[in-house]
Amino acid sequence: MTEAPSVLARTFWTPLFLTMLLAAIAVLVWSFGSGTLQRTVVEMLIRVVLVVGIWIFVGNSGIISFGHVGFMCLGAYAAAWFTIPPMLKQITLRGLPDILLTNQFPFWPSAFAAAVLAAVFALLIGPILMRLAGIAASIATFAMLAVINTVYANWSSVTGGTSSIVGIPIRTDLWLALAAAAGAIVVAYAYAISRSGLALRAARDDAIAAQASGVHIERERLVAFVLSAFVCGIAGVLYAHFLGIVTPDAFFLGTTFIALSMLVVGGMYSLSGAVVGVVLISTIIQLLRWLERGVSVGDTTLAIPSGSQEIAIGIVMIVILVYRPAGLMGTAELTLPGQARAKSARAQPAE
Amino acid sequence: MIDKERETTMHHRTSAAILGAAALLATTALSAQAEDIVIGFATGQSGFMQAYDQPATEAALIRIEEINEAGGVLGRQLVPFFSDTKSDRAEGAKAGLEVIEAGADLVVVSCDYDFGAPAALMAEANGKVSFFLCAESVRAGIQGVGPHSFSASVLGAVQGATMAEWAHENLDARNFYVLLDTWTEYNKGICDGFDWRAPMLDGVEIVGRDTFVNDDASIAAQITRITNADPEPDAIMLCSMMPGVVSAIRQIRNAGIEIPILNGSGVDGSYWMDAVPELSEFYIPVQGSIYGDDPDPAVEEFNQRYEAKFGARPSSQYTYPGYVMIDVWAKAVERAGTTDAAAVVAELEKMDGEPTLFGPRTFTSELHHQNQARYHIVKVTDGQPAVVDSWTISEPVPMEALLQ
Repeated sequence: MTEAPSVLARTFWTPLFLTMLLAAIAVLVWSFGSGTLQRTVVEMLIRVVLVVGIWIFVGNSGIISFGHVGFMCLGAYAAAWFTIPPMLKQITLRGLPDILLTNQFPFWPSAFAAAVLAAVFALLIGPILMRLAGIAASIATFAMLAVINTVYANWSSVTGGTSSIVGIPIRTDLWLALAAAAGAIVVAYAYAISRSGLALRAARDDAIAAQASGVHIERERLVAFVLSAFVCGIAGVLYAHFLGIVTPDAFFLGTTFIALSMLVVGGMYSLSGAVVGVVLISTIIQLLRWLERGVSVGDTTLAIPSGSQEIAIGIVMIVILVYRPAGLMGTAELTLPGQARAKSARAQPAE
Repeated sequence: MIDKERETTMHHRTSAAILGAAALLATTALSAQAEDIVIGFATGQSGFMQAYDQPATEAALIRIEEINEAGGVLGRQLVPFFSDTKSDRAEGAKAGLEVIEAGADLVVVSCDYDFGAPAALMAEANGKVSFFLCAESVRAGIQGVGPHSFSASVLGAVQGATMAEWAHENLDARNFYVLLDTWTEYNKGICDGFDWRAPMLDGVEIVGRDTFVNDDASIAAQITRITNADPEPDAIMLCSMMPGVVSAIRQIRNAGIEIPILNGSGVDGSYWMDAVPELSEFYIPVQGSIYGDDPDPAVEEFNQRYEAKFGARPSSQYTYPGYVMIDVWAKAVERAGTTDAAAVVAELEKMDGEPTLFGPRTFTSELHHQNQARYHIVKVTDGQPAVVDSWTISEPVPMEALLQ
């Protein structure tokens, strides 16, 4: 019997390909695209961080989470608290602790601390949520999102209530967003092939068999939950430093549904699916936006009515899901052609 | 009232046609000659902000047309360029960048501070002048965006202060009941202005104070407290807005409370008055009258021109700030002799009581907004709104009252 190649050796092509795909898009728009298009790509890369963050939990545990945008909210507001100049904070965010009110922290430590805050919150609330399974867990995560949103929309002295907080330094550019997206992919990949990731996927596919083999399901879920909260927190930080403004409703239903649609369309159980879903949906949205603006053909301008983008994107998603219910990628990953064959050959006897 | 419905549909259809035409204009802007001055509208052309942004945008287009007919600014034509924010903040920032890339020297952003700020911040970062179409928060300007940002409307607090002074003087109101709808900053701004001014007036007492939220189904508890207030109030300062305000007014009147109700400009327009039959003793401040009775005949001429162009009369006074915006900006550019942002801002800040069709406008290096303005007072009698007076508050609303 020959020893099977390690998981790492078999699968490291996936994060490499995904990162190269995103890098290629970034370099292309950087060389040829307008500033508006570059912003669209930055926004897409932030969504990659968010959706990959959600995938770390959803993809490995099989529990659909509606709450992860809440972690993005925690990260974004924390970034705002740390980095807004003290003068502005003293007018709008009077309820902050003194150390935040009188200081402005540098970007990197603040970004890290903001993501840690999201992770710590997940660590505190996770043990309760992780005891639930299936739809009950999904509803509980949704409740968590609603709680976070309500608190942030009403805790006026600390979050500014429903008003926008302005004055967050603009730091997120194309390269930072690309680096963050690549980082998120590597983290997600590393988790997926780790002992905990494998155990969690085993529990996803057959909980009883996994438990019988000694997998502590709640603990593995919690690990994934905290890690994904950290990555979603990073997405929030990037978003805050991208737009320069945070409001609670930016981290609520709209973002949740678009992020989940991207994940579902791409393929919920595949890391490549998460990334491909974001790229695909973002591309379609941008194309429809151009059509709304109008495309010149000779002397006439063809345009679809404003607002049809939202309808069209819904139709596209329905069509994809009718023909590929498991998403575009299913459970497959982008990899070398030979590797894919080897993998499916190995998978066969199990069926 | 079916006529009105038809009118509204017609209004929408014509507006769509105009926007279509504007889009065509916009495409030509890309290929416009270098001498043209581009005015970029990063506003809501779809989604819920459209209801607020479109009328003011149309008024702006009228002023642009007038200026172009008269030979343009600095001998150059004004060309509008549109980018839709889709009533979304992230899209708003992109729309702001898009109009800047199209060469806009003036970036026009949404009526609401929260929704206009992303595009305005983008303009600020690129050193361009930005104008909020009709935002009424102090943050729509230097305080919330930066030194190149302005608002074309008047601070919400001025409306509250105007109603306090006017009711004190003309309705002999001394005992006020304050009823605040905590739904938006705009509502709070109106009551802040009232609360700043009212206590300074002779003999004024706030006999009671209550809050509700716009979508509360019933305000019966608040109404009971109004009825039981001692001494009896002479007037109710209501700080609320569409859509909840209509239900609140109806409930107050149905409870048999007939004392005057004062509110901000947010309820201007007769489209909602069917819902409160025979409404009387209801007062609001407006920048100009849409009812055909403005003391200045030029305002009525504007209304007719607007109707001829867009198929319906302005539906509320929030149409007018768009006109004022282009007016003051074009004057500043003419005086500065350049579209350069710093020079234009300097000229705008020199404006002290600058006459416009809708009252004098003042900008200073501290405040790019109106903290004192002439308002016409509209009184509703038996469901018929009409201008009864004009009023300018005796002193500007101070910064402390605005930053509450």
